[in-house]
Amino acid sequence: MRATLTRMGAVSRKEFLHLGRDKRMLAMVVLMPILQLLLFAYAVSFDVEDVPTIVIDTDHTTTSQAYVAQYEASPFFDVVAHSDALSAADTAFDRGEAKVAVIIPAGFADALFRGERAEVAVLVDGSDPNSATVAQSYSVALNQLLSTQITEDWASRQGLDLSSVGVLEPRIRTWYNPDRSSADFLIPGLMVVILAILTTPQTAVSLVRERTLGTEEQLQISPMRRIELMVGKVAPWAVIAYIDVIAITLIGVLGFGIPLRGSVAALAVGAALFIVSALGMGLVVSAVTPSEDTANIAAMLISLLPAFLLSGFAFPLNQMPVIVQGFSYVFPARYMVTLSREVFLKGAGFTEVWPELVALTLTTVALIGLATILYGRRSSR
Amino acid sequence: MNPRRVRLLMWKEFTQLRRDPLLIRLLILMPVLQLLLFGYVVAVDISHIDTAVVDLDHTTVSRTIDSSFTASEYFNVTHQPATEADIRALMDSGAIQIAVVIPEGTQDALTRGDVAPIGLIVDGSDTQVSSVAGAYASRILASLNATRLADQGLSGTGPGLDARVRVEFNPTLDPINTMIPGLMAVIMMISLLAIMSQAVVKERESGTLEQMFVTPIRASEYLLGKVAPYALLATVQMLIVAVVGMTWFRVPFNGSWAVVITGLALFMLSCIGLGLFVSLMSRTRQQAQQAMVFIMLPFMILSGFIFPIASMPAWLQPVSAVIPLTYILEVLRGAFVKGTGFVDLARPLIALAVFAVVILGAAIVAMRRRITD
Repeated sequence: MRATLTRMGAVSRKEFLHLGRDKRMLAMVVLMPILQLLLFAYAVSFDVEDVPTIVIDTDHTTTSQAYVAQYEASPFFDVVAHSDALSAADTAFDRGEAKVAVIIPAGFADALFRGERAEVAVLVDGSDPNSATVAQSYSVALNQLLSTQITEDWASRQGLDLSSVGVLEPRIRTWYNPDRSSADFLIPGLMVVILAILTTPQTAVSLVRERTLGTEEQLQISPMRRIELMVGKVAPWAVIAYIDVIAITLIGVLGFGIPLRGSVAALAVGAALFIVSALGMGLVVSAVTPSEDTANIAAMLISLLPAFLLSGFAFPLNQMPVIVQGFSYVFPARYMVTLSREVFLKGAGFTEVWPELVALTLTTVALIGLATILYGRRSSR
Repeated sequence: MNPRRVRLLMWKEFTQLRRDPLLIRLLILMPVLQLLLFGYVVAVDISHIDTAVVDLDHTTVSRTIDSSFTASEYFNVTHQPATEADIRALMDSGAIQIAVVIPEGTQDALTRGDVAPIGLIVDGSDTQVSSVAGAYASRILASLNATRLADQGLSGTGPGLDARVRVEFNPTLDPINTMIPGLMAVIMMISLLAIMSQAVVKERESGTLEQMFVTPIRASEYLLGKVAPYALLATVQMLIVAVVGMTWFRVPFNGSWAVVITGLALFMLSCIGLGLFVSLMSRTRQQAQQAMVFIMLPFMILSGFIFPIASMPAWLQPVSAVIPLTYILEVLRGAFVKGTGFVDLARPLIALAVFAVVILGAAIVAMRRRITD
């Protein structure tokens, strides 16, 4: 047992020395996650407001101007340009200057005055489907509301009794995120993404590297067992990643004012397990890839994509096809994002997050075990 | 420039690539895997949003509102809690993403001819769902208003607006149609940066860089020979994305291939330059790898590839203006979805050209300096 510890310690020390020699690397590894957190906490948002809108009013009447004023008053549309020419809409769309074009044909006011239905056209640029969906719905709603009002005004002028027609008015409230920054919900998940990207690529190259440098044989003839090598390789990176966890948590809580309502111990245990499992994933890559280039690309694929897309950090898991959802259970990021959110925002402790902790423990053991077996198979060849 | 020397170096790179069959398989597999993931995860149509309806009014009107939400394909009414206070727990647990609150006295207010407010509470933690849900809900209420007016016997008579809202370019509003053109650029960026950032530092570590420089090969020849094989690979990857995207995902193409090819070629030069620059500046392979990851991630997140630039805070938006990926996305989406031509895409194309010249120039300067060292 003591010999095992000594040997693991020796590998860890060697890894630390490598890292200590490389000051630039050390600085990158510690500082970059913090910088990323600061940038991405603001960037990850689909919120749509102030969509640039061009108004083409060929009617030039006070009625048409009153109609345009409704768009100007809406928080959703931002009238950036006025024009007389129909071609202005095409130009504005092609140059990306406007996403919505409101076209009021000549005779708009006359039609209303005569008591007819006036036509207006609203064109929406569909090349950004997210904001186009929202723009489409809001302009339909806005026009229906205005149309109702116009009919009502007319009816009352005609002396028709419409007193029983009230209007339903939506009052939208946004919970959790009233000031457009989703920091509260994003940072606990973002932490997981940043950690995954930091850790997996590190161990992914580490075993391949020993091979390309020719130091693998030296390790093999030493009395070191494979599992000892694995643990020794993982330890230094786990320490560094943990420093990043603490830094990110502190920045989140102190800088962004994210509530840490739940058990810090549960978060600490979860983060430790997640880091080791992510490093273990790197070791699996390292055990099966023949070259550092391959290891690099494989690590990118296996760390970045699942952590980013299949963890539920920004893309709701329940909107995905069932097969993709099933796929997400294989990667530890999913469990850690859930755990982190539960602890930060919902005040969860060990009693609530034990399923995630069990899942993380299982993936950790499975990945380190798999790496050991695969590495053994390769070196015995 | 001696074509024989360039050819020899290219042959060496290809031989090295062939020795590593897993790398080639990964490079071919990567675009397909990314396509499927991005296609089915990011580019989802938002519908069937889990909804709670709190009916405090218990009248015909409130039941009509309830059934309009139930009937809509956008909403999936899963809960009907008795009080407003119950919403908090449901939303906290993620069981619902939008709640509709019909206050007591809604029908009375309407009969009096007043404005009756309907509460829509959206879960802002998922901004994509929340903004769409708010818009859909407003639309349902507006059409209820119109129906109620029509029920008063005013349909067809009297003035009103006949608004025709039409979505241009992408009438189905399918997000995949903009995702896949963007993915072409992103996949090329990932594989070129991953490989080029290792290219020089790899030779330095194994000591073959010195050997290379005692040969009569010149910096430009070295660059060309080094870059060409991988540029070819990246082109193959892009073709895979384009073919799978247009056949499997049925992404329409409305523009001119000349625009797409010009844009991608310029962007490719920027990627190669950036990768080489990282490789020249790094002392170890690990440094290069780490630097590459830290360049790539902001590129993907801040370029508008997934998260719209317009949704970012104003102080952050200038950052996306210095990312080449931002401009190639504009070009590709413009050409694929809108069918925009050279004239209207001149600005992003010029920006890409400037990036290509500056970045590649910096890489070549760094290269010269390395050789004279």
